[in-house]
Amino acid sequence: MSEVMTKTEAVVKKGKALGADEVLASTVFGEYRQSRFSNNQVDIGVAWDDYTTGVLLTWKKRIVATQIKNFQNVDATMERLFKLAKVSKENPMYGGIAQGKFKYAKPMGDKAIRDVEDPSGYIYEAIEAARKEVGKDIDSGGILFTKYEQTYQVSSEGPQGTDERSAIELSIRAFLQRDASGHGVECNSSLNGFKPARAGEKAGEIAKMAKNPKTGKAGKFDIIFDPLFFGSVIGTYGFMGSAFYVMAKMSVFADKLGKKVGPEIVTMRDNPGKQSVNNRIFDDEGVPVKETVFIDKGVLKTYFHNTTTAKLFKTQTTGHAGIVTPMPWSLELDPGDVTKDELFKDLKRGLYLTNTWYTRFQNFATGDFSTIPRDGIFLIENGEVKESWKEIRLSDNVLNLLANFAGISKERQQVHWWLEAEPPSLSPYVLARNVQITRPE
Amino acid sequence: MDKNIIDYCLEYAKSKKVDYAEAKAHDTNAENLVLKNGILDAYAAALDSGFYVRILADGGLGFASSNKWTKQEAQKTVDTAYKMAKSAKRKDKIKFEAEKAVKTTWEVKQKKKIENVSSEDKINKLLEIDKAIMSQKATVAARMLVLNLFSADKYFVNTEGSIISSFVPKINFQVFGITVVDQGKMEQLTFKEWGYSGGWEAFDLWKLEEAVAKEVEVLQRVLREGKPVKPGKMDLICGPEVAGIASHESCGHPMEADRILGREMSQAGRSFIYQGGPYWIGTRIGSDKVTIIDDPTIENSYGYYLYDDEGIKARPRFLYKNGKINEFLQNRETAAKLGTRSNGASRSMNYDREPIVRMANTYLQPGDMSDEEIFEDVKNGVYMHSFTEWNIDDVRFNQRYIGREAYFIENGKLKGPVARPVIETTTLNFWMAVDAVSKKIDFVSATCGKGDPSQGAPVYTGGPLCRLRRVFIK
Repeated sequence: MSEVMTKTEAVVKKGKALGADEVLASTVFGEYRQSRFSNNQVDIGVAWDDYTTGVLLTWKKRIVATQIKNFQNVDATMERLFKLAKVSKENPMYGGIAQGKFKYAKPMGDKAIRDVEDPSGYIYEAIEAARKEVGKDIDSGGILFTKYEQTYQVSSEGPQGTDERSAIELSIRAFLQRDASGHGVECNSSLNGFKPARAGEKAGEIAKMAKNPKTGKAGKFDIIFDPLFFGSVIGTYGFMGSAFYVMAKMSVFADKLGKKVGPEIVTMRDNPGKQSVNNRIFDDEGVPVKETVFIDKGVLKTYFHNTTTAKLFKTQTTGHAGIVTPMPWSLELDPGDVTKDELFKDLKRGLYLTNTWYTRFQNFATGDFSTIPRDGIFLIENGEVKESWKEIRLSDNVLNLLANFAGISKERQQVHWWLEAEPPSLSPYVLARNVQITRPE
Repeated sequence: MDKNIIDYCLEYAKSKKVDYAEAKAHDTNAENLVLKNGILDAYAAALDSGFYVRILADGGLGFASSNKWTKQEAQKTVDTAYKMAKSAKRKDKIKFEAEKAVKTTWEVKQKKKIENVSSEDKINKLLEIDKAIMSQKATVAARMLVLNLFSADKYFVNTEGSIISSFVPKINFQVFGITVVDQGKMEQLTFKEWGYSGGWEAFDLWKLEEAVAKEVEVLQRVLREGKPVKPGKMDLICGPEVAGIASHESCGHPMEADRILGREMSQAGRSFIYQGGPYWIGTRIGSDKVTIIDDPTIENSYGYYLYDDEGIKARPRFLYKNGKINEFLQNRETAAKLGTRSNGASRSMNYDREPIVRMANTYLQPGDMSDEEIFEDVKNGVYMHSFTEWNIDDVRFNQRYIGREAYFIENGKLKGPVARPVIETTTLNFWMAVDAVSKKIDFVSATCGKGDPSQGAPVYTGGPLCRLRRVFIK
């Protein structure tokens, strides 16, 4: 057993010795690196190293948590935590954490990502690819981010394991004019296959097409969502799939288990496997993660559960703990049976939206929301780009939107971007009918 | 924290060829309580402690952080920051505006120290607020209450010779998803928060039991009596919450100099204000009634500070003044680039986050009219007291606010509730339509999002009542 694992186990033993019912400790040694760039130059290199043990302790259904940094003051911290548990309130809904020994898959982390010495080469590769599309007047900005985490997890209830998680992500936004931009991302869990030029090329292509945009029009439109835009949309369905948010009435999926929420072409799943930048082999209780289909051919099959929410819903954990809030790790919309080109070809009149931000809700339970498309917005007629647009807002309802999915491409892309395309997803191009567009009046 | 480690970081950084260096320790003592549907889901309490080093060398900028308090780790952190700075390979070199050294200690005093409030009392406070929600004659289908207590203990040193220590305790209370059901319909308060720099006395000021009970009453009244507005041009009176969010979104953000210079272009976006564009300092953006200030020095405000995270003394910034673009929010880097001085807008939310340009407390300056005078000559309009869904584009021009609590105005009098009135407009149209502001100001707390990784910054937004003439409401 490694020294870190021994120290993590000692945290659990200390809690048990104090009289706790359950103790779960998870030590993460994280090495994170980021280079931010704008105006085609690197603005700053950022490195943050983190040595943190997260601790959960329960006593008579009182749930308390803390963090220990670099194994400093373990005894005092655990004593304080146990004292807190004794004065806390019982949570009668609490159903415990996972019990037993589990067999885990092999960790998927790529050490080569940790060893990236100078990331600026990747950035300039992406900028050059965008420049080939946009030309010499390009203005571009973005980030290159790498993550390498070693996780050591011990539960008093049996689960114990180590994991290595890695990711490399490049995000680039290219401008041809102040109001003509495109955004591309390249996300990978491994250095092998990471192609930053692909993101730059896409950002540049969109920026070029977006030249001289006209003010858009309000109305109902058939819309093709780019994978980057769809990454934001599927993230909404994912968070609303958490049993926690269903119980809090912050989801449109309450009371819809087993019911049709979308057309047959829609199958959504969570899959934190090797390809995902949020890859992992167990959840925060130590339950092995697996593929979880939550919408199957348009029918809502399950919520995302930890042990507690699963007991409340009389089912099994889906391996999505979060101790308090189960959440999806990495979403996928299953591919359709048409190519991206066929999807566009069949669009008589509609919009192609490439990216969005600032999605906000009037009411999570009913799903009324709006979001602001950014970067390339295109009017499509008979499969061709007719005009570039700007200054519109998508103002609709997430259940209506899902019900109106009418086409899904075979091609999919791993997308993850800032606060918007979150959590990471494997997203296709998606056609939705009759979507409401508004604009300032 | 170990101040010797911070001092060592600086000395070690000075031994390298740096243009500027700073080191900062940042300790956080945090407690978070979540009460969902009347049940305490979890109680988390943790001490967090770490440090960062930021170095400007050869025109490049590097930042490195750690939470391992050893001399060896300090050396490694400085080496990493220096290496990061050197690897930037910029054609045009970054410069920092220089300032005189500051040696000071400042803190926010607590009338009722949070550390003297027992854990039981903290839980009981949440339960009391929950009880106030449930004691209303309404069917509340769900509610979630969150209490966040966090104090920041900082120690800052830089190569100019500044040494600044500070201590700021903060209290934050949030409600999510208060859901009221009535006659088969459902209304929801998606989110609202209260924030304060200081001690437990915040709860005496907030009167949360009354505030949340009123929110339930409002939701139920909208369900029972709310009518949609007939779309068209009419007068709009915005309450402090709406005036505040508009000030924050369509004045504060576009006036951040890092955004204006493009540094946030791929995340939070750019600004409708840029060099060579139609808007710059001196350009009219609103009526002469519109003066918007960002002031970190409002005592006990949620966004309070006296020195920013680059060691610059805080002061009020007049962003829009009498309707004209007046002064951007600056840090050392943007000030050097724009040939001016920093006005102390650089904030870092933790030891592992780079300081960037942020707002503090952004508000519409009050005028000289009474509330009655604001209303009295509105023949037909809407009073939007608070908002629910809102958003704005990434250059901060095209925005929308939807009323949560709103009422019809007829001949100067408030009438029945309006169900979800929408104003979808532009920054220019919104502020140019303002013809009057009242003299009574109120503030609302918020957590401003910016940065990658995200750094949620505590802020106030606010203002008086403000009257907009002939705007389109739907």
